Amino acid sequence: MITTTPPDHRALAEALRRRVLDGPGETDRAVRQAAAQRATGGPAMDAPYDDLARQIGESAAGVTDEQVASVLRATGSERAAFEVIVAAALGAGLLRWRQGIKALGEVADAPA
Amino acid sequence: MRLHEIERGDGIFNKMLIGFISLVSRMRLPDAARVAFYHKDFFATPMGVWTQAAMRGPSAWSVSERELMAALVAKWNSCAFCVGAHGAVAAKEIQRSAVDAALVDFRAAPISESLKATLAFLEILTLRPMELTAEDARVVLHAGVSSEALRDAIAVCALFSIVTRYADALDFAIPTADEFDRAASMLLKRGYAS
Repeated sequence: MITTTPPDHRALAEALRRRVLDGPGETDRAVRQAAAQRATGGPAMDAPYDDLARQIGESAAGVTDEQVASVLRATGSERAAFEVIVAAALGAGLLRWRQGIKALGEVADAPA
Repeated sequence: MRLHEIERGDGIFNKMLIGFISLVSRMRLPDAARVAFYHKDFFATPMGVWTQAAMRGPSAWSVSERELMAALVAKWNSCAFCVGAHGAVAAKEIQRSAVDAALVDFRAAPISESLKATLAFLEILTLRPMELTAEDARVVLHAGVSSEALRDAIAVCALFSIVTRYADALDFAIPTADEFDRAASMLLKRGYAS
């Protein structure tokens, strides 16, 4: 399936960020926003969220069953635990979006 | 899969859908597709829209080149599921030997110089995002890559920095090589929008 409209990555990234970090969910927005920040080296969260969000940001391949199980126990539902995991992953991804666009923009803005 | 509701499907419709697709395709529906059905309004829908645009929308990069970028981002993030899944899609249009060579050392692989320059940029962006500079971008542009094409590549990197993280945090099951190949055909045909 090939679409024909040129992608507006900036708008699409912002729509994703708004929905996951600012929109309604089973978890508080503040928890999702903190997880996204923590995954990019931001301030520590309360346990057990801190350990999982930091690990997802640094190296998700190192996430353990216990890290996810602890967040699942704290949130009380799989849907809420999923929201925390996705928020942390999104934080790390959007950091890379911003950094990449910043580097590109600095070239475009540089004097010839 | 660490969250069993995703594996089973949330709601009777999704449970039946997952079972039906697995039955018809005669393989276990990959966990990436199960996530696409789960808590859809919260994540899969906006993620699918951006991913579809970045991976299948108009771009100077071919679909297989973008899939190879995704596979390399997955390699740098040590995500075996995404290396297998997106390497298999890339291999539908690029020779499997070239995909494998790029996964070992993209600088020595039989791929274009513009793609190599872009992958060098994406490697820094993936592994050391705070160290990326305008000079890194300038090198890519001097290799003949347009600003628009580099922007498209940055989007692929950002998206698969997300996908690889939830794939590993959720501990996606790793399909066999044959299952990856069959799933790749489906992904080429159906795209990413859920």
